[in-house]
Amino acid sequence: MSLRIANVARPAPVTITVEGVPVMAHPGESLAAVLIAAGHWRFGEGEDSTRPRTAFCMMGVCQQCLLRVDGRLVQACLTPIVAGQAVTPA
Amino acid sequence: MKTRFDAAVIGAGVMGCATALFLARGGMRVALLDRGEICREASGVNAGTLTMQMTRAALIPYALRAHEMWMNMPAWCAGGDVLAKTCPGLSVAFTDAEAVMLEERARIRREAGAPIELIDGRAAQAIEPGLADGVKLAGHCPIDGFASAYLTGRAFRVALQEAGVTLMESTPVRGIDGRFVLDTSAGAVAAQRVVLAGGVWLQDMAAWLGLSLPIKVLINQLVVTERMPPVMRTVLGVASGLLSLKQYANGTVLIGGGWQGIGDRARGGVAVRSENFLGNVRLAAHTVPALRHARVVRSWLGLEAETADALPAIGPIPGIDNAWIIGSVHSGYTSGPYMGRILAQAILGEAPELPLFPIDRLLHQRSNSA
Amino acid sequence: MIFDVAVLGGGPAGMAAATEAAHGGARVVLLEESPAPGGQVYRAPPAGFEMKPDRDRQEGDALRAALAASGADIRTGCRVWGLGGGPLMPEGEAAAPFSLSALGADGVPFTIEARALILCCGTHERIIPFPGWTLPGVIGLAAATILLKAQGILPGQRVVVAGAGPLLYAVAAKILAGGGSVVAVIDAATPAEWLRALPALSARPDLLAQGAVWRAGLLAARVPVLAGAQVTAAEGDKVLSAVRVGERVFQADALCIGHGLVPATEASRTYRAQHAHRPEDGGWVPVLDAAQRTSVAFLYAAGDGAGVRGAAAAPAAGRLAARTALHDLGFRLHHASKEDAALARARRTGAAMARMMALRPAMVAAIPAETIICRCEGVPRSEIEKAAAAGANTINQLKHFTRCGMGPCQGRMCGEAAGALLATARGVDVAEVGFATGRIPLRPVPMASILGDFDYADIPVPAPAPI
Repeated sequence: MSLRIANVARPAPVTITVEGVPVMAHPGESLAAVLIAAGHWRFGEGEDSTRPRTAFCMMGVCQQCLLRVDGRLVQACLTPIVAGQAVTPA
Repeated sequence: MKTRFDAAVIGAGVMGCATALFLARGGMRVALLDRGEICREASGVNAGTLTMQMTRAALIPYALRAHEMWMNMPAWCAGGDVLAKTCPGLSVAFTDAEAVMLEERARIRREAGAPIELIDGRAAQAIEPGLADGVKLAGHCPIDGFASAYLTGRAFRVALQEAGVTLMESTPVRGIDGRFVLDTSAGAVAAQRVVLAGGVWLQDMAAWLGLSLPIKVLINQLVVTERMPPVMRTVLGVASGLLSLKQYANGTVLIGGGWQGIGDRARGGVAVRSENFLGNVRLAAHTVPALRHARVVRSWLGLEAETADALPAIGPIPGIDNAWIIGSVHSGYTSGPYMGRILAQAILGEAPELPLFPIDRLLHQRSNSA
Repeated sequence: MIFDVAVLGGGPAGMAAATEAAHGGARVVLLEESPAPGGQVYRAPPAGFEMKPDRDRQEGDALRAALAASGADIRTGCRVWGLGGGPLMPEGEAAAPFSLSALGADGVPFTIEARALILCCGTHERIIPFPGWTLPGVIGLAAATILLKAQGILPGQRVVVAGAGPLLYAVAAKILAGGGSVVAVIDAATPAEWLRALPALSARPDLLAQGAVWRAGLLAARVPVLAGAQVTAAEGDKVLSAVRVGERVFQADALCIGHGLVPATEASRTYRAQHAHRPEDGGWVPVLDAAQRTSVAFLYAAGDGAGVRGAAAAPAAGRLAARTALHDLGFRLHHASKEDAALARARRTGAAMARMMALRPAMVAAIPAETIICRCEGVPRSEIEKAAAAGANTINQLKHFTRCGMGPCQGRMCGEAAGALLATARGVDVAEVGFATGRIPLRPVPMASILGDFDYADIPVPAPAPI
């Protein structure tokens, strides 16, 4: 079952890569939402095993969802999808 | 009034704490008072740089001894620790004018006892691979270092308690009468001796005793980054002294150097001045280019005291028996614990290891004595 | 140019404030972090997304349309990091215009100046730590709302929804409506608490009806609702796989949990406005007069960031703040200020909800010793209590003792729980431990984006200290 809710019209999908693996996404979705929809909750290992990187507040406050997009440090929840983005752990 | 203390130290920064600690260990009953919390002003919020290359030449002998104290802090501070570590220090020059300044300043400091050698840019990069290209000359001091200044209060507290010091935090002193009865928010506190150790507030404290001691207030800005992979391994500065950079074990990089923010004695640190924030971080990123990849998490302000000649005020208060003062030490954190130790020696009637800095030279005129 | 009014935050309060100020003839700028105005409740879906509009969407669209037509300069997608001016001036100098430094949506830094500043910064979510709360798969209720309403994405296949307040049932209903499965609803509030809230809720029959529909939906879907209960642990290896509520264990791949809303007061703290601790308003809030003035001249606050009252009450408060600002700036207002009955009702309802969402001391007391409180720095409860025993008296001192609150979230996520734990450990009221001093940057800011192009020679290095 897809986590994307049916009956929502979305722009045509594009592809990004997450650690080299292609992932489908719709432009306008946030990177954090795309990763959740792809079942990819664990964004990185963080400082220690009890505090991995992940989406948590979804509004730019908690700073737990840091990732690199094309090498640049970003907050996944505030980063809109653009075709071809290469996503790697922070 | 319950007890008469042998000494009341007013101001629980690093110098007040060290003075109180060594007085208590010398057998005195000591009260240590602060209007706020222990080491929560300059002593707790400074950049933690322990360097000879920003220390005034006249203070180098003191700073060298204090450096040793910081490195061995748990041994003399009942286990209290600020995680001080020694590392090479570099002071770099990017322009010819800075190289000239650096050469002169390094020479004067070397003559004062700091083991500073001059090296070229390539040698500097060998010591600090994070350093930018374009360095014309660098001062290299192998025994610089840094500490986590925010741990200072916690580090002193245990030792103070073990030594029997009565620590009175959040207890503002409003005045002192002629018999050294302190008017405090917690009632009267009587003491045989008083030690004024109030940082930038020394001017107000001196006025309690009828002294006019002008103290200039510097509002130093600091900036810290998020944790990041290792980008540097030294304490870095520039020839002018307007930069201090270091990366802590946790990966955060602290950017300081004394760029000025907005504030004053009455209001404390009011705000970071954004143009100086920008200037400071630009200088930092120019010096260690990898800092461009950092995120800035926080800035803050620390108030530093400076006398008219920018040399310390440490010694007896002229004309008032049993009244002492300590403060206004340039790069005061570096030298602080040693200054407290030698003042305590003097108060305890011993000869201080190194000379104090009597304040007669700084007093404008005596108004009516308290 | 200097704006008459700057509005920080484009939620319902901010949109209404900017619109009202522009109507009054002021030069207005609105700064908002999201790509479009709306705030969390009225958040607009991204361009190109079409979903069935609900009531919130309609309210939001109306506010957005009015704002767009108002003539205010709307700057979305920008991150405000620097605050200056206003009262932040050297000794003896008069107050200056407020100055806000930001990164634009295009990544280009800019600074705006304004004679008056209205803070409409909203809230962030309160999540009281519990074992396993840092596991991937655990997200906030507000976070889930954003996922569901603005992105059209379910948080998981099998979801536990937990916490306190109306968002709980809204999120559960949205998951069901989206075709997802809600494994359980864990409501911290008891039925008695909901009963006590009823009289205030009845002022807004629309909300009552909405709530009844949500409840009915849960009933129809046979979702277990545990009242007066709380999650005791989130469990799983690398990601969440189960949610424990005492003896009961629910298999789940997502847990949406929230315990209320905390006003975002970073900006008013940075401007050194007076604050008070009011649990029923969400915690620390700027002290306001009846016309939304803070204690700082020409600085105003409105909306949930000034005390949680809900999105419905926010626009009227924003409009009032704008009218007050214009009055203080010397504008002649063409229409009188009036607090309408709808606002009073919305405030009353909002207050009842806010009480339900207020910090629950028992929940904080139940946090196990080794549970992490400060997620950024990895500080567990036991360290906070150790620090209290070692003499840390205030939040600012606790930071120094433990690094709690020193990480990149700048204490937003842990500040409240840490304050409550410190206060309990010291045996004092939570107001006594204070709040962290406000300093820039308001949010972590990438160095690369503020540095800009510069020559070394242009850095205004001050004169060196004497040797």
